[in-house]
Amino acid sequence: MATRTLPLSKRGFTFEVFMWAFTRFTVIAMYGLMLAGILGALSLSAQTGANFGDILYWAFFPNLAENPLGQVWMTILAKLMVIVFVLSACGHGVHGVLEILDDYFTSPSARRWSRNFIITYAVVASLIAMYVIWTK
Amino acid sequence: MGLKRDVSLSAALSYQGQGPYWTYILHRIGGSALFIFFTIYILALMGVQAASGILANWVFQLIFLPFMLFHAINGLRITILDLSPKLIEHYRTAINIEWVAYVLVVAFALFVVLSNAFGG
Repeated sequence: MATRTLPLSKRGFTFEVFMWAFTRFTVIAMYGLMLAGILGALSLSAQTGANFGDILYWAFFPNLAENPLGQVWMTILAKLMVIVFVLSACGHGVHGVLEILDDYFTSPSARRWSRNFIITYAVVASLIAMYVIWTK
Repeated sequence: MGLKRDVSLSAALSYQGQGPYWTYILHRIGGSALFIFFTIYILALMGVQAASGILANWVFQLIFLPFMLFHAINGLRITILDLSPKLIEHYRTAINIEWVAYVLVVAFALFVVLSNAFGG
């Protein structure tokens, strides 16, 4: 099967191309952060003999988990990692949810309202998350 | 002027798009599940006890985890194919590999959830 691909240089730098690249690169950042979180939790679990459920809990919810290594885990680096993860997830999710909403809300006014709502949601959620993660 | 497509649910379900279509649909369902999860996560961060309770509930994990893992694994396939256009002609093979990986990962994840819920 012949494939048709257009080099990035010929696509132009439109909003769609930017959002395509943004969505791809934020998800790559999230995969990297997940891997780093799991490796961090694995290395810490070696000291306590925790089971794999605990390891996943520490990896994905380091700020919520009542883990015995909380003081070690919640370092500035861990906080920064969680903040970057939340911001990446939020940016990635906003574009994804907008694509879904655009498929169902087809009138211009409904699209404008759904767009305003989801962007406001993303900004507010990101600000709350950053504040709580940094100060907790 | 707004678009009007008039695609009924039965027409959508009977569409013969096969594997790629189902991965597309499941990716959207998984993304929506992640959006709900993200909202609950933010509430839990704010200290809402009910939200923390939902996240820790094994029934919630059992329902949401398969969809969220599908979104993550399917997203990885899409990213790899997008960033390596030469692989696009093998997209059906990629989908088959994705299903094998998904079944293994989700079986392990559900085993961990259930053993944590009932294993003590």
